[in-house]
Amino acid sequence: MGKIMLDGHAIPFKLGDNILQTALEANLEIPHFCYHAALGSLGACRLCAVEITPKDSGKAPRVAMACLEPSEDGLKVSVSAIAAQQVRQHVIEFLMINHPHDCPICDEGGECHLQDMTVVCGPPYRRYRGRKRTFPNQDLGPLIHHEMNRCITCYRCTRFYQDYALGNDLGAMRLRNEVYFGRFQDGPLENPFAGNLVEVCPTGVFTDAIFRQHFARVWDLKTAPSICPHCSVGCNTLPGARDGTLRRVRNRAHPELNRWFICDRGRYGHQYSEHSARPLAPRVSGTDTSYHDALNAAASQIKSTQDCIGGLGSTREDLEGNAMLQALLNNLGGIFTAFSDPKLETATIAAVSSLQNIGNAPSLAEIEQIDAALIIGDLTAHAPMIDLALRQAYRKGAKLAFLYSSPTPLAQFATTAITVSPQEMCTELSRLYQLINAQSAAEDITDTPMTDIAASLMGARKSLLIGAIETMTSQEVSTLSKLATALGSDTKLAYAFSGANAYGAALLSPTGSAVAMLEAVEAGQIRILIVAGNDPLGDSRFGTRWRAACRNLSALIVLDCILTATAKAADILFPVAAWTERGGTFINYEGRAQGFATVFHRPEYLPNVARVITDLAQYLGHSLQAAPSVLGDIFSDFQIPKPGTTGSLITAPSLPMPATASAHSIQESCNSTWQAALASWYGDEALASFAPGLMALTPKTVAMIEPTSAIDAGIKNGSKIKLRGSSGSMVLSVRFNQDVATGTIAIARNVLVQLGVGHGDSLELEQVL
Amino acid sequence: MEALLTRHLDPVAPLNLVAYQATGGYRSLTSAFDLKPEKIIGIVEAANLRGRGGAGFPCGLKWRLRGADAPSPRYLICNLDESEPGTFKDRYLLYGGPHQIIESIIVSAFALQAERAFIFVRGEYAKGGNALNQAIQEAETAGLLGTNIRGSGFNLQIEAHLSGGRYICGEETAQINAIEGKRPNPRHKIPRPSTHGLWGQPTTTNNVETLINVPHILLNGADWFRELGVNGGCGSKLFCVSGKVKHSGLFELPCGTPARELIFEHAGGLDENRALLGFLPGGASTAFLLPKHLDVPMDFDPIAKAGSRLGTGSIIVLDDATCPVEVTLNLMRFFARESCGFCTPCRDGLPYLTQILTTISSGSGRADDLALLDELCATIASQSFCAFAPGAVMPLVSSLKCFHDHYEHHVTTGRCPFNEANKNGA
Ligand SMILES: Cc1cc2nc3c(=O)[nH]c(=O)nc-3n(C[C@H](O)[C@H](O)[C@H](O)COP(=O)(O)O)c2cc1C
Ligand code: SF4
Ligand code: SF4
Ligand code: SF4
Ligand code: FES
Repeated sequence: MGKIMLDGHAIPFKLGDNILQTALEANLEIPHFCYHAALGSLGACRLCAVEITPKDSGKAPRVAMACLEPSEDGLKVSVSAIAAQQVRQHVIEFLMINHPHDCPICDEGGECHLQDMTVVCGPPYRRYRGRKRTFPNQDLGPLIHHEMNRCITCYRCTRFYQDYALGNDLGAMRLRNEVYFGRFQDGPLENPFAGNLVEVCPTGVFTDAIFRQHFARVWDLKTAPSICPHCSVGCNTLPGARDGTLRRVRNRAHPELNRWFICDRGRYGHQYSEHSARPLAPRVSGTDTSYHDALNAAASQIKSTQDCIGGLGSTREDLEGNAMLQALLNNLGGIFTAFSDPKLETATIAAVSSLQNIGNAPSLAEIEQIDAALIIGDLTAHAPMIDLALRQAYRKGAKLAFLYSSPTPLAQFATTAITVSPQEMCTELSRLYQLINAQSAAEDITDTPMTDIAASLMGARKSLLIGAIETMTSQEVSTLSKLATALGSDTKLAYAFSGANAYGAALLSPTGSAVAMLEAVEAGQIRILIVAGNDPLGDSRFGTRWRAACRNLSALIVLDCILTATAKAADILFPVAAWTERGGTFINYEGRAQGFATVFHRPEYLPNVARVITDLAQYLGHSLQAAPSVLGDIFSDFQIPKPGTTGSLITAPSLPMPATASAHSIQESCNSTWQAALASWYGDEALASFAPGLMALTPKTVAMIEPTSAIDAGIKNGSKIKLRGSSGSMVLSVRFNQDVATGTIAIARNVLVQLGVGHGDSLELEQVL
Repeated sequence: MEALLTRHLDPVAPLNLVAYQATGGYRSLTSAFDLKPEKIIGIVEAANLRGRGGAGFPCGLKWRLRGADAPSPRYLICNLDESEPGTFKDRYLLYGGPHQIIESIIVSAFALQAERAFIFVRGEYAKGGNALNQAIQEAETAGLLGTNIRGSGFNLQIEAHLSGGRYICGEETAQINAIEGKRPNPRHKIPRPSTHGLWGQPTTTNNVETLINVPHILLNGADWFRELGVNGGCGSKLFCVSGKVKHSGLFELPCGTPARELIFEHAGGLDENRALLGFLPGGASTAFLLPKHLDVPMDFDPIAKAGSRLGTGSIIVLDDATCPVEVTLNLMRFFARESCGFCTPCRDGLPYLTQILTTISSGSGRADDLALLDELCATIASQSFCAFAPGAVMPLVSSLKCFHDHYEHHVTTGRCPFNEANKNGA
């Protein structure tokens, strides 16, 4: 390996790296603005000036841009050379000509790259005596605040937004010293990764509008390494709190997962924990009470019952909470599952089981390197950062193929996209499996989109099969895994699970326990149900049955940090700590166990789930082991991963592949011609749906139908239709959309819940004249 | 010398295809197609044809360096963006006779084996651009463009691209971005556009005047071409003369003709009672020369030796009733306005210089402003991203030297002596 001489120190470099990268890699700072590790070199700001003397060239030293000069063996580089210092001073002086110098009132203050560079490089005084150029600002929506006068024209924002995140509603406009970064018109930024502008921008042009509503100086924020609780990707985050309230969430780099960026759900979903309706005091029969009284009430209910007890954990509850609830149920002789939806349970277990068999899912960094992918369903809402990783693969030329029932933003980058109704999905996957198994897909079969997909997967160097579990059945999961096996070891398999700890929840939930639990509650065999972080009553597919069944209960005991339908119906409610207010462990989509730390405490006493369960056990006269040893018993040698580390893959006993006959919902008997599909969007998630900023961007509630099937049924675009499901009906206006499968109506989750239908269930449609 | 490049040009009634062919037009295709492309490049090299777009890079060398084995598709761009203040030669070529341009592009593209050529036309030359499009159609219909031109096996498609209209679009790589439909910011030149140009493919850019010479070189030979010049210059050159002269205009003369002949013979000299204060030899982005330079041959190397650039060969004349500070300020306003906004020294430095010059010119300059201008110019010229900024500060840097006393006078007296003189005269 070669070395450059940086101010007298020999610094090794990777071939192809430039001087700036070499220095940064060695933790040596060369001032810079426009260079960004994810966005590369641009050469626009001219701050990274260094003096270089090529080895043995006999040439005089010259000032050059470190971000544009390749590192070469023996190259002498000086950051401290007077000539380089002077260029940097001039660059700062130029950038400061029009800068408003409003640091005292700027949100970026304290973490401003411009501030740092100005202090480091100088000059300390301004010489410019003229007028400053000023810009109007734009309203960019509820999440991002815009102050264009602070811009230093480093082009990072457009390079991130357009080149990296493939958005198209923000860009550079005009020229000279009037280059303007914004939208054509005021309006919310459309890209689901827009929030990263806040971190990408080295100045205070783009700042966090939610943080701004309850602002604190960043040096006053309490922070600790955390894990995003809003999906199964498990992005690493750094939340910041002050005075007992959570103020913001930033990206925290993980070398294999989220390196520089997180999605907007991860950045802004945190508002759930400051929601005005958040339960903060224990409640018994609708009355606030003390923690002690609530424990007493729960214990006496449990002691007095003759019947079986049920414990319902959750895919968004951490490993500790689920395991402790399971341990309590074991002690009490009750049954435990983490799933309220039996279909989701079998699909999730099938997915984890196939990952255990085939090998682990690729990291985000690996996904960026694939050259072909088959994507089942929508990833933008179910695993936003996997979507962003696939955008990087696409930029490098990867072919993306889609089978999907309802619109998914990623499909705009598809090489082949086929809409398939939920009920046909399994058949179509089997067809693809047969094509690939026939080995000769490309030749003797007519050139259909499906053979294109087969050919592209078979021809790929590294391919990925990935599906969103929430909209898949266990049969589809097992077909996809068969497909992965058929394609061989160059094919990776991954699933976007529903819930930050869905993988962990599956490891703790015996197959079939969800349906067993539901049936036991329906039959009155279970009369006490403890629910931790789950919302069976708010479920779209099974909510109707759960709501009916729960009338049989003598006590519904709920532990949660958000006011779900189930929490509202609770006889005994234990408010628990939100994710930033406690430590714990999540297992992400790869099977990676990652620890998160307590960032801060609220003034109220808010224990975590494991604590409540331990205390409840004590009130019942049982003594549970602490969570680490409970987990150590379940997963041999399991060590709780330390927050702030990269985490490690969990070793767990193999899960059996569930029998493919899926649980029946009452809907499937209905013989209507229309099927429902979940129309997802990236803000739609249990916790994030309590975040007002994100929710302000909720798409309009409409019924999306594919034009041909709509016209065949005599339905006009914009007309009103009435949809009916097991638990109700709703009138919606029709929006034609090519990205909806034939015979399918794509509707938002809240509509599904209200109608009482799940993704793939039949639906009755009636035209409203 | 008899006009060569402008012989058959008529901006009022440009020749159509038939008329152009009657003057011998498109004859060079026969010569070209008889030769191997490398041979043509060799001849152009021997003719010492240097780029007329401003930098004077040897055309044949540029073509050879692109390499015969450059991967297809290969592109040729004919630069007709001409936005340099004081320059109006390409305009004359465009309006005077579009077929000459097309013929030049065909033989040049053949030499480069480029299958697609773009003519990037300055936005304000829209009328000329339309005529050019018509001429391209005529040539297509006549089989002079398209596939297997005249049985040569050579294919060529030409497209005229009308600029959105910015000075920076004349810069080679900014122009490539513009043609691709992107923001016309210049690109980093590693890798070079000759290998990674338009859509990442090998691309050669030449000024239209450069290309216009190629058919004549092919028809008459390299030696003949070299001998067209005088005082060591090679070939025929289009010179523009404007400013404080009696008859500003375009003159086709041997390359190497001294400025004295251009200004005092062809442009009719200065007004009576006026003396020459100085002149820009090659357009707005070149350094001022003084009366003592009048006999320097207007050719690339001699002008460079005198401390300026031949640039586009466009002389702008200042007489002794013109305030050089005011003229320089005017130029700096232009350049500050035309900066593409990509890099800091140019984008924010030029308006800074303009602001300082404005204060000097209006009489509120400070003694240390002149040193400040020099200091800032040094960084702007050497540390900007593209060649725009070094060109932009050139007239200022030289004006500070050439007309130092004028600046001193403005700063010390707090007023512009020329303003006073004008007022008194009025
Ligand atoms: C700021 C800037 C503006 C330019 N404008 C023009 C122009 O309008 N026309 C032109 O032919 N060349 C222009 N050039 C030069 C081109 O970049 C390029 O060098 C030239 O077209 C090459 O042709 P040549 O070698 O035949 O001269 C400009 C260069 C710079 C840096
Ligand atoms: S808005 Fe921010 S990121 Fe964009 S160019 Fe300006 S300073 Fe750079
Ligand atoms: S992708 Fe998932 S884990 Fe990552 S920030 Fe977004 S919601 Fe959180
Ligand atoms: S020097 Fe001027 S024109 Fe050239 S890239 Fe920089 S800002 Fe743009
Ligand atoms: S970081 Fe090198 S020019 Fe901006």
